Order: sequence, then structure tokens, then C-alpha cells
Amino acid sequence: MNHLSIAFCTLSFAFASVSAQTLNLKAPIADKPVLLTSSGQSADIEMVKVLLDRAKLPYKLDAKIAAPALAGTGAKTVLLVLGASSKGLGAAGISAQGEIERTNLLIAEAKKQGMKIIGLHIGGKSRRGEMSDKFLTDAVPACDYVIVVGEANDDGLFSKLTGSKVTLDTVEKISKLGDPISKAFK
Amino acid sequence: MKRISLTVFSILAAAGIACAQTPANLYGRDGQGKQGIVASAKPESSQVGIDILRRGGNAIDAAVATAFALGVLEPNASGIGGGGFVIVKLANMKDAVVIDFRESAPAAAKADMYPIGDDGKVKNMANVVGGLATAVPGDVAGLLYALDTYGSKKLTRAQVMQPAIDWARKGYPVTANLSKIITDELAKINKFPATAKLYTNDGLPLEAGDTVKNPDLGATLEMIAKKGKDGFYKGDMAKRIVSAVQDAGGILTEEDLAHYQVKIRQPVSGTYRGYKIISTPPASSGGIHVIQMLNILENFDMPKLGDGTPAALHVWSETMKMAFADRAKYTADTDFAKVPIEGLTSKAYAKELATHIDMKKPMASVLAGDPSRYESGSTTSLSVMDKQGNMVAITKTINHFFGSGVMVPGAGFIMNNEMDDFVPQPGSANSIEPGKRPLSSMSPTLVLDPEGKAFMTVGSPGATRILGAVAEVISNVIDHKMSIQQAVMAPRFFRMQSGDYSLEGRVSINTKNALEAMGHKIALKGDWDPFFGGVHAALLDRNRKILFGGADPRRDGFVAAY
Repeated sequence: MNHLSIAFCTLSFAFASVSAQTLNLKAPIADKPVLLTSSGQSADIEMVKVLLDRAKLPYKLDAKIAAPALAGTGAKTVLLVLGASSKGLGAAGISAQGEIERTNLLIAEAKKQGMKIIGLHIGGKSRRGEMSDKFLTDAVPACDYVIVVGEANDDGLFSKLTGSKVTLDTVEKISKLGDPISKAFK
Repeated sequence: MKRISLTVFSILAAAGIACAQTPANLYGRDGQGKQGIVASAKPESSQVGIDILRRGGNAIDAAVATAFALGVLEPNASGIGGGGFVIVKLANMKDAVVIDFRESAPAAAKADMYPIGDDGKVKNMANVVGGLATAVPGDVAGLLYALDTYGSKKLTRAQVMQPAIDWARKGYPVTANLSKIITDELAKINKFPATAKLYTNDGLPLEAGDTVKNPDLGATLEMIAKKGKDGFYKGDMAKRIVSAVQDAGGILTEEDLAHYQVKIRQPVSGTYRGYKIISTPPASSGGIHVIQMLNILENFDMPKLGDGTPAALHVWSETMKMAFADRAKYTADTDFAKVPIEGLTSKAYAKELATHIDMKKPMASVLAGDPSRYESGSTTSLSVMDKQGNMVAITKTINHFFGSGVMVPGAGFIMNNEMDDFVPQPGSANSIEPGKRPLSSMSPTLVLDPEGKAFMTVGSPGATRILGAVAEVISNVIDHKMSIQQAVMAPRFFRMQSGDYSLEGRVSINTKNALEAMGHKIALKGDWDPFFGGVHAALLDRNRKILFGGADPRRDGFVAAY
């Protein structure tokens, strides 16, 4: 590889790195505290919990919260961790269809309460597939802001579902998620 | 060339360069050689075994070295905090032997020790997470017994264990597979600071390409290498284990550790189309029901039915239903319960069961209402064979991935949560009793050819799916003349006595549709789904004098050979 090629690759990488950190979300949209919940019962919610702890964002975690209980949490924003796990659904004792219904009712109640909804898909490509994608179709367009980690949007599904109405940001790695999450909050 | 392939494989696996659901390096995992074969869940551990064979060790030396190495390199799935089974038949042995180093319930354990919630589950997952989930570990006792009794004596214990010690100290790359497993178990891992320190970056999962160095485990293994079994089960390490488990809510005591006993068992055996099947008896249910399933299948012309056809999978479905119904009713630790082994493995019984199979439609659930419960698919299995016909298979575990989550601080290993394999209420053959071993599905198995010569070793992780995986691989080789690697890679299927019929995604769509038309309720899984286990197998072709190894892409499996 000659020196020019090396220089070009280095500059491209630097440019890409800078570009990846520029967010589409231009101003905070959400209030604290947060209700952290799951849509699909994947283990990814645990990683988001770690990030919220690091960002010192006040939150309540309830992976299976039902819509009627939402008002009682005192939360102003719902953080919805998107992506299905058959192991997680089995452990939670809920079917995939039941979980989709729970999510839809929760979203409807959150909107009724005037809460913002932030969707997070952090499991990358391995958290896509026939089952996981069923959880995205209704939930993603209903969010106020969506953040995707890694290559999960390579096929453009998140871009299609968010369209021009929902702000979408992509970060390279889970460890980079803290920045857009923090900046989403007032 | 093989070392280059190993390096390339490791890089690919670490980088996780794979499409969703398709493992990396799908076609480069098998191997062949004239001298020896080691197949295991990690390329590094397989290489450890081959290096031991090259140095003049025998198949047991190699298997024990590989097993200790797996406890370092695949710490989520097994280790010195766990237990398992060895099945061994050296060329100079008339009969095979099973070394049962399954974990056992502590002396203070009781049938009703876990409070049960209104939902029928153990409250706070106390039999899964934390110290109360931990049973008395057998890994060190079992592996050292195997080495002392059946090893070549050409290599010392320290020499056999040194590769594992080296890997613990120098570190190994995190693969995409391991990173995903850490992610899945993150809630449990983060509960225990010593465990989180090793397997997370400040609470977030290690990512593919990161390195895990575990010098504490290296020191622990070095101490065991020096002091032997007593270095683990007595003295300072025993105190530290008990302290860690009791601090996490457990009831393990130093007496439990000091009194742990390896059990030497006579294998269960049967035949399948002239081949002799030798497998693991209780406290494992595996061997009995692998043989039972093959006995039932023998009543059907499986070669003619074909591989992966609707008719073949229908026969498998009905066979599995009946085998699992019997398993639920009869099988337990034979030191505590009477198990009708002879009856369950008899050809006559199998023939009677075979008459219940209607080729036009599935039978109703054989045991209606039996609750299906989620079982852990973790565990690891390895196979070793050499040109002399020495055969060893080991399946070992800490039960769920990352076991109880409890790491012994400063010692580098995680304690098992094997108590979860008991029925947590009184009244079952598999209820908890002090000193009892919980029912296992582990089925390390040996197959002899129709002339009684060494033919194949096979084993798998995967909880109850182990039984299906092992039986299917045997049938794939014997009925459908697949190579061992083809047999391991072939799409799998599994069901219990009730519930859906799980098919791996690569089963033919025509077969799936035909089974549904017959009345089967199908649950379609991923294309290379670890739900169906991770088989590692070895086969000796006596005519060509070549050993073949098969490794499972559903894990990070890899064969080393020379």
C-alpha cells in the first residue's frame, strides 16, 4: 500500500469518525425522570441501565410494565429498548404477540400522558430478524427519537420507519450511546 | 497450514465478521489426521489437546488438558466451579468407563429449600443466581481422577495443566459469540463485582476483539497442578470458595467440599444397526434416552426415509415425544431412585413404542400438561481419538452460562448454579436431597463399529436438546452415510413429550410445510441455532486409517488434528 493510499484511508477514517459523532437531534426533547422498559424482552435493557447510571439520569426500570401502571411511575419520558429475544420472552412468560400488544398499549398511554418516547435499538445486526423486526413496525414510527447502534440500519428499515417525522441517530458502538442519550434530555 | 487456519479463524471469530445467524468460517472447522484428533468448542483448546498428543500423552491426557483449557477459554460454559461426565475406552480396556463428576447438593440442602411464588417459580431466581444456586463442584476431582487413573503417566499433572495456566495468564480474544453471551447474562454478571470486573468494561459487555486475561485463574490452576485435588477441596481455597458462596447467600460448607466424591459408573449400552452405542448412565438421563431413541428408530428404514424428509422428521418427532415422556417419569440419580434402565433401553420396549407411531399424523402429547420450562443450553463437550483407537468424550458445565454469577474473588472462576437442575419442590424423583446429583442431560457417547472396534466419539451441550443432537449425529453417520462434519452441520430438530416441534431454520421449507400439514405445530429457530447444542465429534475410518473430526459452527468449535 503506498503512502498516498495510507493518507487517504486515514483521512477517510477520521472524517467518518467525526461524521458519526454529529447528531441529527439538534436540541433536547425529553424531560426526566425516565421509565426504562423493553419491547421484546431482550437482555439489551441491562446495557441501557448501565449507560443511564453512568449519565446519572434518574430512572425507574420495569421491563414488563403495563400501560395502566405508567401514570404511577411519575416518569416524563419512556425509554423503549427495542429488540426481541425468545429466551427473554420465555423467561418473562409472555408471547411475542402479547409483548407487541403490551408495547402498543404502553405507547398509546404514554402519548395520552404527554410523555416523550425514545426508542433504542442497541443489539446490532444480531438483534434484527423476523421476530425482532415485528417489534419495530409499530413502535419505531411512534417514537419521538430513535437511536440505533451499529449496522442494524444497513437495510434502511429504521430510516424507512422513522421517515421525516422521527429523528434518527446512529452510533457506531454501544459505548458511544451515552452522548446522544444525555443530549436528548433537558 | 493448520496453525494459519487457526489464526485466521480466531481473527474472523473475534471480529464477528458474519451475517446475522451465519457463523464465521462455516466450512473450515473440521480436520483430519492419521495420529490424533481433538474436537472442542474453541480452536485454542483443541490445539492444546493435539499438542499433548504430540508430546506423547494419550487420549486422556489430551482430553483433560483440553478440558482445563476450556474452563479458561470458554468460562461461560464450564470450569473448575462446575462438573460433568467423562466416558473413556482406551484401546487396552475391555469395557468403557464413565467418570461421574456431576455436582451434588450440599449437606444442608432440602427438598423445600427454595420458596416458590404464586407463579410456581422459585422466588427471586434463588436457584439460578447467587450462592444458594450452587452445588458442590466436581470438575477438579473428576478431571484429576481421569488423569491419575487413565493417563499415560508420561506427562505430569503440571505438564497437562500448563497450557490452561498459560492461556489464563496471556489472555484470549473475545469472540462475537462470547460477547453476545456476556450481553445476554449481563444482569447476572453485574450483580457480582468480581465477575463484572473480568467480563465487562465498567458494566458494559466486553466486545469482540477485546482480550480477557485471568491471572487469578492462572494462579489457582497452578496451585491445583502443584497440590492436586486437595489444593481445591481443602485448605485455603476451600475456605475462599465457601466464603464467596455463603456471602452470596449459599449454604456450601468446607465439609461439603472435603466430602465430594467422584462416582465411577458402568455405562449404559445398546446397539444401532450393528453399531454398539456406549453412553452416560444416571445421574445423566442422556445415555438411556439416546439409546432408547435409536432403538425406536431402528424399527423404521431411516436410510430409505431419507435425510431431512417429512417422513423422517415425523418419526423423529414421535420418537422424541415418547422418550421424553419416559424421561420425565423415570430418570433420576440412581443412588437415590430406582430407574428401570434395562427396560428403558430394551429393544422389545422400543419395538412396542414404535407401534404407536402413525405415519399419517402426530400422536397427541404423550404426557399432557407437563409444563415445559426454560432450560439452559450452555455446557461444553469435547472428543478425542487417536490412531490406536483410544476414545474419550467429556461433557462438562457450570449449568447456565456464567453459572450462578458468583466468582470466587481473586481465584478467577465462577461457581455453578447446578441446583437449578433439581425439581425445586418435594415429591419428584428429581427433588433435592443432601448429597444427591441433579438429573443431567449430558451424554458423552462412544460408538463401536459392528466389529467392536473404535468408531466414533460424540457429545454436545444444550440441556435436553443434547439427547436429540447426539442421536441425530449418530443417525446421520450410520443411516445417511454423512461425513462427521456433515453430520454435525446438518440441520437439527427437537421436541419433548408436549409442545411445539422445533426445527432449525435450514430444514427444507417443503419438509416444514408437510409436517404442518400432518398436524405438527412447528417452531422455527435460527439457521445455526445454539439452541440445538454444539456437537464436537471424532470418527476413525479404519479402512483408510484416517481420523476425522467434526466441530460445531453453532459454537466456536474447531478441530485440531495431526
